Amino acid sequence: MSRQASPIDACPATIVVAIACGTLAVLTRMFGPPEEFEELLLQHGLLSPALVADGDWWRLLAAAFLHGGAVHLVFNLMMLWSLGPALEQSLGSLRFTALYVASAVFGNVAVCLLYDPRQAVLGASGAIFGLMGAAVALNMRSGRHALALLDFEGPRRLRGTIVANLVIGFLLPFVSNTAHVGGLLAGFAVTWLWLRPGRLPSPGLRRWRLAVGALALVLLGWSGYPVTRADWLAGAVGRTADPGRVRQLTEAFMAAVGDGPRDRPRPRGR
Amino acid sequence: MPPFLANAARQLPLALVWAAALWPVLLWLVHARDPVAAVRLAQGAASAWSAAWPWALGSAIATAALYPPAPAFVRRALHRSRQTLLLDQQALLLRLADLRQFETAARHLEVGRMLRQARKHEQAIPHLGRAVELDETMAGGWHQLGLALFALHQWPAAARCCERAEALDPGHAFGDALLVFGRCLFMVKDDRALATLEEHARRHGGGPRSWLWLAEARARAGDSSGAVAALRQAAQKPTVALSPEDGWFRALARVRLWGKGGRA
Repeated sequence: MSRQASPIDACPATIVVAIACGTLAVLTRMFGPPEEFEELLLQHGLLSPALVADGDWWRLLAAAFLHGGAVHLVFNLMMLWSLGPALEQSLGSLRFTALYVASAVFGNVAVCLLYDPRQAVLGASGAIFGLMGAAVALNMRSGRHALALLDFEGPRRLRGTIVANLVIGFLLPFVSNTAHVGGLLAGFAVTWLWLRPGRLPSPGLRRWRLAVGALALVLLGWSGYPVTRADWLAGAVGRTADPGRVRQLTEAFMAAVGDGPRDRPRPRGR
Repeated sequence: MPPFLANAARQLPLALVWAAALWPVLLWLVHARDPVAAVRLAQGAASAWSAAWPWALGSAIATAALYPPAPAFVRRALHRSRQTLLLDQQALLLRLADLRQFETAARHLEVGRMLRQARKHEQAIPHLGRAVELDETMAGGWHQLGLALFALHQWPAAARCCERAEALDPGHAFGDALLVFGRCLFMVKDDRALATLEEHARRHGGGPRSWLWLAEARARAGDSSGAVAALRQAAQKPTVALSPEDGWFRALARVRLWGKGGRA
């Protein structure tokens, strides 16, 4: 006699992600004193471009499991639960995990590329936008043709959800839409090019995989070695022993901060 | 559009991705030798980009507003993208599965036609070639093969295919085989081009595309007044909505008429 699959059997990766987010909320003492909470967030992976450039690469992924408050956490878990199980069953747990990690990392890479180095961000929504991008790519690949997704109610609702969330992100100053868009693009690209590359052979697929893969690696590298950014140059001066190189790096730092330091940015959640 | 420009336009998105990927690499390389130069390079690129994009946007809007082929070109590009995106993969897969069961010229023709309509010309040619190999009397196969080769600018081969289609079935596809045959002859500077296009105009009338091609053939033969007359025909206001392809040829004809001091 067959039994109905439990959620743990059906979507283990989604549940692990949700448990990880919940566990980190406890570990960072989300409901404790704000100063302690901020300190623990910093210890557990709060992301800022300056910290990543300082060598903390792990924050690119870790920040996607941290949340800035109960509403932030609950909203992201609701979105994860509405998208994750179906996607995981469609792709398989291993591929779903790869998709989630890629979306989380490249959402944060987008932040590192475009934000002020001291701007702090955290939250799972970059990765969740990646799941939405993946759902769009799957619908485009699975239909009769690439635009068939517009003919059905489900994909139309998904499109509405994406647009509504992006609009909310633009309207609320403490929401990082950069990470949302980065995650969305990463989720779409990973699914379109690698996870579901189409049912018909496409001569251009290999060229696109190579180009997008190279771009992804280089952008990841640039998050850690942004050699023209003042904060990285300041750190490099401290790490270098050669006096000639120190002089060069100092001059480069002076050139990079030529416009003077900018105002301190406000922290953002996602 | 010249073939090299068309090819370049097709490769542009991929080239942009590679350019974006190589830019940080360039900065790392410059930084290794001279960190100040790398900072200056990045700052120069950022300020050039900030200065350039409003001008580029303004120029694009002005071009679209003032130059008739620009909106027609955009409309045609959107239509072509839509054709590619709307390729019915389910139906195509079914037909490919049918082909594996039992190979016929008609089935190859159908697969080739679907791929060609989705602008996958390179993938269509093997199927269309096999269709005419299996049934040499299939005018539709020769015509579709000619169109696929024409789209890839292989003029002599396309001319041979369309000539064959026309010979097998005179007036095939409402004269389209004859028209494309005439255009291929024009592209390879064959003297028969004008006579072929004139014959097409006499037998089938025409639309903006055939009149424009006829005008070009007449102009090359030195018949300026005939060319202007054909351009007027191509540029005249349509009584029914034109397809995006015909709209493009009409826009081109209107611009050519400006150069000749004429009006539609």
